[in-house]
Amino acid sequence: MKRLLLLLTLVLAAPAVAQPQSYQGPQRPLPPGAPPVAGPVIAIPVLEADLRAKAGSNTVRFARDSYVLTPQSLTTLTAQARWLIQHPFVQASIEGHADGRQTREYALALGERRAAAVRNYLIASGVPPQQLEIVSWGKERPTSAAFHDATWLQNSRVVTVLKQPPQPVYPMPLPQPQLPPQGY
Amino acid sequence: MRYWCFRSLALGAAAMLAPAAAWAQSGEPQLVVAVPSLPTPKNVDTGGGQTGVLGIQIAQLIAADLRSSGSIVTIDPDKLRRYTPTEASAPLYRNWTNANAGALVQGYIQARDDGRITVVCYLYDLKTRREMTRAGFAVGAEDWRRAAHRCSDTFHKAITGLPGHFDSRITYVAETGSRMQPVKRLAIVNWDGTNHNFLTQGEGTVISPRLSPDGQRIVYVSFTGGMPHVRVMDLDGGNDRPLLAGPPAMSFAPVFSPDGRRIAFSMANEGNTDIYVVGAGGGFPQRLTTAPGIDTAPSFSPDGRSIAFESDRGGTPQIYVMNSNGSGQRRISFMGGSHASPAWSPKGDLIAFSRWNGATLSIGVIAPDGTGERMVTRGWQDERPSWAPDGEFLVFQRTQQGTGVAWPFTVRLDGGEPKRLAIPQPGSDPDWSGASQ
Repeated sequence: MKRLLLLLTLVLAAPAVAQPQSYQGPQRPLPPGAPPVAGPVIAIPVLEADLRAKAGSNTVRFARDSYVLTPQSLTTLTAQARWLIQHPFVQASIEGHADGRQTREYALALGERRAAAVRNYLIASGVPPQQLEIVSWGKERPTSAAFHDATWLQNSRVVTVLKQPPQPVYPMPLPQPQLPPQGY
Repeated sequence: MRYWCFRSLALGAAAMLAPAAAWAQSGEPQLVVAVPSLPTPKNVDTGGGQTGVLGIQIAQLIAADLRSSGSIVTIDPDKLRRYTPTEASAPLYRNWTNANAGALVQGYIQARDDGRITVVCYLYDLKTRREMTRAGFAVGAEDWRRAAHRCSDTFHKAITGLPGHFDSRITYVAETGSRMQPVKRLAIVNWDGTNHNFLTQGEGTVISPRLSPDGQRIVYVSFTGGMPHVRVMDLDGGNDRPLLAGPPAMSFAPVFSPDGRRIAFSMANEGNTDIYVVGAGGGFPQRLTTAPGIDTAPSFSPDGRSIAFESDRGGTPQIYVMNSNGSGQRRISFMGGSHASPAWSPKGDLIAFSRWNGATLSIGVIAPDGTGERMVTRGWQDERPSWAPDGEFLVFQRTQQGTGVAWPFTVRLDGGEPKRLAIPQPGSDPDWSGASQ
């Protein structure tokens, strides 16, 4: 129990640390019924830290009204695609946002269009379509509390959010789940 | 709450409506209406206060309502003589000649045995010495304001020929919490800020509420389940359900048709947003637009035959109009900048919109044929216009630069300073209900 608490503390603290922890590779989700020790819920922040470290960012930004991917965005998304291909058991939600100077309905549609542009690029880069879902938040979730024209660039964005994978159906008995190594 | 009306006299009132309407439009000076206190046969304590006091308050409220419409001047109760309840239906015209008024409001208030109150009000033309209209209501004593507002609506219609907005309500999204973690609740309030109620409790993000024409249902967008989708519920919070069955699809921008039978909305798929229409009870949606790009924010014309909407098929978002079956799509906004959130006026003659000129968002109006575009507000960020049932006022969302705090404001179509809606906390996405039934 003590070890579990220590693990939890370490893992939960991970996103707050400036240097992401080193990561040992893809992790298989636990079968249903397994004790919830170091399960996918805990792994997500670590996976996201790893995605940010390997791809440079989990976010790409857009000009006002635009859904065109910039050269910088393409570099980031190519690296994200490579990471997602290496982690086929991780589900990604591609979440589109628009800035607060858009009207509410148009912001929702624009966020969806941006998310679709990112999803299409990831699929074209080899990510299986079923690994990706898209959603738009419109202007409902700004990243910056400030509200003026300089926030356009910050809030016009698409974020790749990693999610707990759906419980897989196992055709055959699985090996015993392995706990992450010490010092993880 | 139940109302009873003098239906037998409705015909007589309608016959007198025509000359009265001409009065308001002839460019003459504004009509002066004397509004003395309503007498009561017996001063009784009720749940809303003493009937004698309520008689004064109702008269003051009617005077305030009529004054706010702009084409009417009022003389308030404290400057006028008192009269007896029996005079209410038989005014002593000679006693009012010194009031220098063109019309006179009389009536009475009476406590009922069942705890409610009866409010009766008459409007008399002091020149022709004839009754113009009358109305009567039995309401809970605490609802005396609604009775007064409905008297005002009746008078407004008799004087101007147009329904008033005094008994109408505004639904909106109450906003608390921080900007990055907002708590959004559906709320409804009388246009004057009274009777404020929350319809949801902030458990999920909600936006874009619209009332049904009969005021009994509300259609809105919820983010519960991770995907924004259109939901419908009764005004008492019951019967809350998704509009569309089947797998989750991203649907938004809902609006009822004027007969309340259909709901138009947008659905997004792979970067392409189109407008659909479906029965208000759900079913299989009919697709109305097919252009690549974003088609959203539909708004029905009052006869239900046309739909105004927003589309960026031409490069920037602009206002388009189509027949309600999707045919005859044409752009109507050409003034430069981009145009969003069209709202067709209940009179049918204008479409309000929000225009982005490169630096600010402001509210303007344009005729459905694309002529006569003009701006009504000059805010830093004004959006989502919605019409009062009289077609003379708009409610919209105004956002403050820097803080991003938004409040609903109302404004007269012919200009004047927008007024902040009297609600307890900031809010967004206001929608003004139709005329009361």
